[in-house]
Amino acid sequence: MEEVGKGKIKITPFDKKRITTNSYDLRLGDKLIRYTSKIMDPKKEPKFKLMSIPPEGINMKAGDFLLGSTKEKIGSDFYVPIIHAKSGTARMGLFVHITADLIDIGSFGNATLQLYATLPVRLYPGMLIAQVSFWKPQGKIILYNGKYQNSQGPMASMTHKDFD
Amino acid sequence: MILTGSEIIKEREKGNIIIEPFFMKQINPNSYNYRLGHKLKIFLHFKNGKSRFKEIVIPKEGFVLRPKQMYLGHTLETIGSKKYAMSLIGRSSMGRLGLFLQVSANLGHTTSIHQWTLEMVALKPIKIYPGMIIGQISFWKNYGNVSKYSGKFGKFNDPQEFLIDKIFIN
Repeated sequence: MEEVGKGKIKITPFDKKRITTNSYDLRLGDKLIRYTSKIMDPKKEPKFKLMSIPPEGINMKAGDFLLGSTKEKIGSDFYVPIIHAKSGTARMGLFVHITADLIDIGSFGNATLQLYATLPVRLYPGMLIAQVSFWKPQGKIILYNGKYQNSQGPMASMTHKDFD
Repeated sequence: MILTGSEIIKEREKGNIIIEPFFMKQINPNSYNYRLGHKLKIFLHFKNGKSRFKEIVIPKEGFVLRPKQMYLGHTLETIGSKKYAMSLIGRSSMGRLGLFLQVSANLGHTTSIHQWTLEMVALKPIKIYPGMIIGQISFWKNYGNVSKYSGKFGKFNDPQEFLIDKIFIN
């Protein structure tokens, strides 16, 4: 909390009551991405549909894979953020990321969540879904300036840009 | 503490981190982007309590992973450290395409140095290419004395399946 006050950690909007003992609780933003490409090819831009989550919620079937995002914009030029599920989310059978929990120091924006349901689950906009922890780095810091900087809402993969 | 990109470069020059081959452009602010090696093991069947795999070489034009099936790949790079603990994960660009890279075991043992086996599970059909950047590895400072890893998987460079015969031996 102190580091947020000093501007060393950025979380917007920030609410004191979402601070936990060693992390900050994140809410689900109201947009989702569903891929429509039959085969995902990292060399090609993926096709997808952008949807809104209505206030009454939206169901995910077991096996569904969607991209969501955190409602908060997060980042730090001083610490390394790592995204985790809330244990309640995980106990529902919902993964919030499937492989990439580590965020680059210097990146800022809505974090994209890789939502994978192992059981039927219902998503509501603004629900508490994930948490972020911040880790101390060792060494000189060179800030992130990559392709997902200033992400707004869920961002589909831009891996095709690596092959240009 | 997690090493920044510039610290990874420094510690590699000192010999405390091994990444071979190494390219500056694969350095991130707090990790290194590793590439996918050429060999892939495909699960065949489960018989008498053992899993059988078939090994292929991933063709240049790519290979499509079928959903909900596990494949074993490996890193192109030889990676390790005698000083730091390592966490090997997929990159967000691949996670966003629905590819699990490392199903749940991301932590590498300090002192093991080899081409790492990757457990890959796709949620949608996905094409992979040999040599593509597929994940990232971060390096973490240990507290306490480091003893040498003497486990069974440290010497493997090719994708290596589970060794059931050895799991109960102590």
